Amino acid sequence: MGYLDAIQNITIADIKLDLMRTAYDNDEALLNKFDPRIVIIWSAIFVIVPWFFYEPEPLFAMLIAALLLAYLSQTSIYLLVLLIWGSLSNIGFIVILSSVVYWWQGGPGGLRGAVVDNSVALLPFTMKLTVISVVSLAAFSAMSPKKLAKGLLSLGVPRPFTFAIAYGYRMVPVLVEEYHDLVNSLRLRNKAPEKSGLLRWRYYLYLLKLSIKAFYPMAFNVAKRSRVTVEAMETQGFSHSLGNEASRELRLGDLQILPRDVTFMLVSLLFVVVVSVFL
Amino acid sequence: MSSTTITVDDLTFRYPGSDEPVLRNVNVEIDSGEFTAIIGGNGSGKTTLCKAFNGLIPHFFNGTFQGTVSIGDTVTTESDVSGLSKTVGYVFQDFENQLVQPIVLDDVAFAPKNHGLEDYETRAMRALESVGLEDAADRFIWELSGGQQHLVALAGVLAMEPQFIIVDEPAAQLDPHNARKTYEQLREIQRETEVGVIAIEHHTEFIGDYCDRLVMVADGDVAWANRVDVGLNRVEELLDADIHPPQVTQIARQLPNKQGTLPSGRYPVTVEQAVSAFPTGSPKGDPPVKPDGRGSDETLITVSNLTHGYPTLREGRKTVLDAFDLELYADSRVALVGANGAGKSTLLRLLTGLESPDKGTVTVLGNDTNDTLPEELAEETVYIHQNPEEMFVEETVREDIAYYLESRDDPDVDERVADVIEFLDLEDIADRDGRLLSVGQQRRASLAIGLATDPTIVLLDEPTGSLDLQSRREVTRILSRSVTRTETVVVATHDLQLVAEWADRVIVLGPNGILADETPQSVFQQPGLLEQAHLRPPQVVELSDRLGIDPPSLTKSDIVDRLATQGGR
Repeated sequence: MGYLDAIQNITIADIKLDLMRTAYDNDEALLNKFDPRIVIIWSAIFVIVPWFFYEPEPLFAMLIAALLLAYLSQTSIYLLVLLIWGSLSNIGFIVILSSVVYWWQGGPGGLRGAVVDNSVALLPFTMKLTVISVVSLAAFSAMSPKKLAKGLLSLGVPRPFTFAIAYGYRMVPVLVEEYHDLVNSLRLRNKAPEKSGLLRWRYYLYLLKLSIKAFYPMAFNVAKRSRVTVEAMETQGFSHSLGNEASRELRLGDLQILPRDVTFMLVSLLFVVVVSVFL
Repeated sequence: MSSTTITVDDLTFRYPGSDEPVLRNVNVEIDSGEFTAIIGGNGSGKTTLCKAFNGLIPHFFNGTFQGTVSIGDTVTTESDVSGLSKTVGYVFQDFENQLVQPIVLDDVAFAPKNHGLEDYETRAMRALESVGLEDAADRFIWELSGGQQHLVALAGVLAMEPQFIIVDEPAAQLDPHNARKTYEQLREIQRETEVGVIAIEHHTEFIGDYCDRLVMVADGDVAWANRVDVGLNRVEELLDADIHPPQVTQIARQLPNKQGTLPSGRYPVTVEQAVSAFPTGSPKGDPPVKPDGRGSDETLITVSNLTHGYPTLREGRKTVLDAFDLELYADSRVALVGANGAGKSTLLRLLTGLESPDKGTVTVLGNDTNDTLPEELAEETVYIHQNPEEMFVEETVREDIAYYLESRDDPDVDERVADVIEFLDLEDIADRDGRLLSVGQQRRASLAIGLATDPTIVLLDEPTGSLDLQSRREVTRILSRSVTRTETVVVATHDLQLVAEWADRVIVLGPNGILADETPQSVFQQPGLLEQAHLRPPQVVELSDRLGIDPPSLTKSDIVDRLATQGGR
């Protein structure tokens, strides 16, 4: 039991750190080096592009490229695994359901054939979904909050929204800590199930229940904090800045599209052309 | 730069939905050439008054507002909050919530940018330099310590180059070492730039050491405004408002035959003044009898060869405790003191089993924490969080107290809950939502949640942190009483007055492990040791040291006795 607990402790601390790294340590991330507007437009394009391909080969090439990009942008491995697992299990469910229905209706080839057929049929779709999730994850997690907010602001997104992004980044570590503290506080006052069952499922179910229960107090505490925040923002001239042109210009002043931004865009488009012609 | 004056003329203010005005016909003038302290009991209206200076009242909180407040020539009702923010800066008590940008420099530049000031970056850097944080400009806010975050909030206000800075209870959220640093910073800013500093404060020892003028707010009105040394001498009035004058002032007042007065006829308000006023010489007292920290020989907790740390974003794994050994015995009151980051909280969490040691073992009442779930350890060991908010998960304090018992299907929950509520005098708040109480009430309620489990060991993290003096007294009283119900109480704290009055064993943690493990008496005899651990002894100990009283007195009554004998000779 001690062994399992040790693993569990390490992973919680490590997952926390890994997420923090994804969110905050963007200095080396490839996609953070470009102008934020280019990255936003680029990711918008690459969320659409996969839908124009129907063969598995070019999609596979794109998936590889997307994963490479995610790697260079230091995307959290936990988030990637979660996303990929999410799309695979989603598709897997569709495959099983459709196959069972097919088999139920007495289609030729039996259950096994149906599973194979349906999987092959859904493979491109799966890959498309995975490519766009990986691309957007890489783009949005690589950009520093400041850059992301700036990029969106210059593309015409209202300032309260872009402010919310920066504020969100400020608050995430606070929330994570608060949540962890609340779960711990609940653990010290609850009783763990006496029999933990096969693979300790009862114990994990119990932890799951606690982690759900901790949400409400967290939301409550956060709401309490925000009272001061709103007052403080008022004293710092936030509402004044909303309609202030000078303030907007200061925020966007140093945005500049450099040759490397253009190169990045062109290389990406070239890649798509190559993929579509040769694969 | 000539000075500016805040003039409050016949101000009356009532919050919407309330029948009674918070402020009644207030008249006061505050000059930017001074460091002003504003004191007053809880709910006296001091924070409301200060929010009238920067226009939050009446622009943000609309209520019934009569009279005028002007900053120099500007009348607040004719300006607005963001306009006034250029002249009056405000550092909130919950300063963490004032920081809204992820990166330090961006946060400091937030206000200048909002006002469209082109030199925002220079302003921000200059402000950071003036609080000594220029090296932290590119760091994330969450990487900083509480003390540094407070300075960032202060820099954010300074970046607007205001004429006044209002700081709301800095000593409440900061540990004494950082609070003192903040006060030194504020005084320097005030002296060098002639920015008026207004501190809302109830720690009169800081006021005595750093401020020039004292404004007393009582019942929604300014009762009086005096020079600090005059104001702090109005001992009766302060005590009536639950404000404790500095220890030295109280000692002077208790000394017979006016032995403790200054040539001016007033009581001293700083240790410095007291040293010159009080009878000199070296009164040798009998060392008071104190237990040696081992109430009994029964060992409850054993920590052996413990190494523990946590992963950090940029510097790999940081080791907090290294090859650490400790034994805690039954029937003792242990105080764990040391600088921030020395591992006090980490050690407490390890004792609860919420964290497992990287290396070594922690044994609590015979259970190795590696092999025992925290839920099981919690049957005998209670941990009370530094931030009492994290202890409230139900809708009333009563339900929160019952939570533990109910999860264990205790047959007489109601009875035991009622018993704890009565024991801690919590009847008045038992049916309210814990999260909406004041910090002092929250603290008392969190102690009740802990004691309801009938623990053998109680672990408390900063039980007197951010408390006003009355709540502090209350909590200290509960601590003393709770010892009758438990075997051992371990308190991690910065509050050396609590240590002096309560503990019988003090463990001083330094960066490389235990610096000292002794009785409070002997720890306080080593000023070098305290300094090393970023601790400052209570005034009574400092005074004993300066007056050559050996061993030092730990309480006011003790030093009064000893000085009185001396003087009478």
